Amino acid sequence: MMEKLLQLEKVSIDDGLGRALIKNASLTIFQGEFIGIVGESGSGKTLTVKSALDLLPDHLVITSGVRQLLGKELNGLSSKDKRRLIGAGIGFVPQNTVVFLHPMIKIKHQMIDAYLYHIDNDKKQALKKASDLLEKVGIKEPKRVLNAYPKQLSGGMQQRVNIAMALMTDPKLIVADEPTTALDTVVQRQVMELFNQLNQSEGVSILFISHDLKIVKQFCQRMYVMYQGEIVESGETHEIFTNPKHSYTQKLLSLIPTLTNLSMDKFG
Amino acid sequence: MSKLRQHKLFSLGLFLVLVVISLCIVSFFYLPQDPNVMNTINRFQSPSKEFLLGTDQFGRDILSRIMISSRYALFIGLVSVFLGAVVGIVIGALAATANGWLETILMRFIDGLMAFPGILLAMMLVAVLGKGLWNAVIAIAIFMIPVFSRLTYSLVLDQKNQLYVKAARSYGASKSRIIFKHILPMILPRLITQFSASIGSAILIESSLSFLGLGVQPPNASWGLMLSESRQYMLTYAYLAVPPGIILMITVLGFNLIGDAWNDSIVSRRMAE
Amino acid sequence: MLSFIVKRLISGLTVLFFISIITFFVLRWMPGDPATLSLGTEGTPEKIAELQEVMGLNLPWYQQYYHWLQDLFSGDWGSSYVFGEDVMTLIIQRLPVTLLLAAVSMVIVIPFAFIIGIMSALFKERWVDYIARSLMQLGDAIPQFWLALIFLVFFASKLGWFPVAGYVGFDNGILASIHSVLLPAIVLAIGQVGPLIRIIRSSMLSSLEQDYMLMTQVNGLPKTLAIVKYALRGASIAPLTIIGMQLANMLAGAILVENIFALPGIGRLLLMTVEQRDLILLQGMLIFVTSAVVLVNILTDICYRLANPMIRFGGNHE
Repeated sequence: MMEKLLQLEKVSIDDGLGRALIKNASLTIFQGEFIGIVGESGSGKTLTVKSALDLLPDHLVITSGVRQLLGKELNGLSSKDKRRLIGAGIGFVPQNTVVFLHPMIKIKHQMIDAYLYHIDNDKKQALKKASDLLEKVGIKEPKRVLNAYPKQLSGGMQQRVNIAMALMTDPKLIVADEPTTALDTVVQRQVMELFNQLNQSEGVSILFISHDLKIVKQFCQRMYVMYQGEIVESGETHEIFTNPKHSYTQKLLSLIPTLTNLSMDKFG
Repeated sequence: MSKLRQHKLFSLGLFLVLVVISLCIVSFFYLPQDPNVMNTINRFQSPSKEFLLGTDQFGRDILSRIMISSRYALFIGLVSVFLGAVVGIVIGALAATANGWLETILMRFIDGLMAFPGILLAMMLVAVLGKGLWNAVIAIAIFMIPVFSRLTYSLVLDQKNQLYVKAARSYGASKSRIIFKHILPMILPRLITQFSASIGSAILIESSLSFLGLGVQPPNASWGLMLSESRQYMLTYAYLAVPPGIILMITVLGFNLIGDAWNDSIVSRRMAE
Repeated sequence: MLSFIVKRLISGLTVLFFISIITFFVLRWMPGDPATLSLGTEGTPEKIAELQEVMGLNLPWYQQYYHWLQDLFSGDWGSSYVFGEDVMTLIIQRLPVTLLLAAVSMVIVIPFAFIIGIMSALFKERWVDYIARSLMQLGDAIPQFWLALIFLVFFASKLGWFPVAGYVGFDNGILASIHSVLLPAIVLAIGQVGPLIRIIRSSMLSSLEQDYMLMTQVNGLPKTLAIVKYALRGASIAPLTIIGMQLANMLAGAILVENIFALPGIGRLLLMTVEQRDLILLQGMLIFVTSAVVLVNILTDICYRLANPMIRFGGNHE
């Protein structure tokens, strides 16, 4: 039986003033999976995932549902335990456009914080691991990068640093929130292949939030489709792409130009 | 800052300012006593029915003197800031639309003016122009110029890049037309809030000048003058310093609160857009 | 970085140039010329005319300006009528008092403003915040000279905690020295606390909203660590941006405060100079004070750039 890493069962969230933002969302992620959540902006993808990670803004209220992370029920845990669970067990890779890394602190200091706090307070060990991970994500001069400030790196490099940082505590699950937005296509592909490799050869589960259906089709085994705060469809990726059941999904899929369509139009 | 709190502070400021303004207006119609009458018998009296705030070292009614002084304080505050604002806005707008060396020269000049600590500049000008009411007005007006120049400069620069300005330019509107008809109305709110905030400063500086004997001169009255006169008696009858100081603080606080709250509401309105 | 320093210096020099022009011309308009004023009661029309010739007062204004500049640069700032001494000497004599006053004031204000500003940001909209903002507004609105008077009467005269007047030099011991300027320093501090709290609070608030705070949450770091290590960093260098302005304000405050507390510093000297219309001394002091402000501004601009990697390395290398 594969380990269940994350489970949301009929989770509903409202905005504190009575309006429902997320309705009855149910989500499960098992060990070793590469799952995608798609939907347009504002569909609630990020909010749903944040609720699983206990990262919701203070004014939002979870009105019902069960949230389990790594086998533990979130509602019953103390803040300290929650922090430990999420800090050590989950890795998070943000959208590239956010200022995730503090611009005034060197990369090395930021990368090792989680490790020092949750795993082992050994700075030397932490720095070594950081350096190794940077190499793993394809950065050729880890020392230089570790001693640099975020602004000295290109967008693609920063994103790799984010991924390496997420891996510092050997998490079983990595949550990636539209990590390839604002990256150019070449770098995009490199990042996706990195995720794929982590998933295939190391068995790290990946929860991938995106509005880019092409990427999801290529890499995710299962996917969820969200629309206006609800999960409207879920299942195996190829199944959904060939046989979309919900009207929204159908509409969404129809918007993707496929290579065959194009070439047929061009050459008749 | 929450909307409610903004309103509360704005209302408080408005209330304080209105108190002072009403003292001023009332002073033209009714004064409890003649503020200049010296009556040695009545010296140093504590507040009573006849003299609501007591009397000073010459037996003059303190409340009446405060009311008279409010006329000067408000007058100087409003006029000096107005003058300074007008000149400052012109310079700032000019610099922002001029480009090249004119822009640099104007702004460096303004920086130079700004390097003189407030009261120092006023003192320097008073040294040249002489003491007195109008000279104080001019001195303070000159002090106000840099603030308004800088503000206008940056506001106009911001607006220059906006779409509507480019559109206006494309259909051939002249520079001055663009400035007056298009840009000025957009930046006016922010300028007005600065105006209000500056009045507080102006009144403070005026009272400092009068305190030092460089501003309003007797027989005219000023809170600063009253405070300076009270200095002699600090050890014997310190109460003399209290009423003018408090009313001064109330006035400055009032204008500051209005300016700040107004400003915050503009900023938050802009953020909501 | 180097190019920035050079540019900044040039811009500073331009400002200084304008300052010198402003000072020179404004004071030329003062009634009475240096010759008449310096001879005072001994002046007869012939002597005055003679002195005017010697002082070069009959030369065209641009030549006078040029000579004046030359003198400034060579260290000859003239001598005061009233004191009969070298302007430079007078300034240097008085400077330590004002500097001590400013230093003590800063030592009081900075920690206080930091604590209040940070608390106010962390507990936004709660009572700490309200108190902080009220302090800010009051500090801005209170007339410093009034506060000085009240403090003088209450703490010095009535309670006897502080000397009523005068400055105690270093030779009587550092503590005694500081004690003699402590009360005026507190008055100055109250006047300065407003803008400082404002800027610390706002930069702290903006820090707390940044996405790197999300990173600390995702990494499961305890709140205290997150705040101290990450949020505080931006807030701690923000005050640098207003130090120049604070200095100018302090000087303005010192003029009145030194007067009231009878401290023989630059502020008091300035006041006497204006009252006595001591042209030469006034010129010298104005140049000194404003140059100091400009210099401090340049230095803090450079320091801020150095301290803030965001600006130092700014922009991506995409």
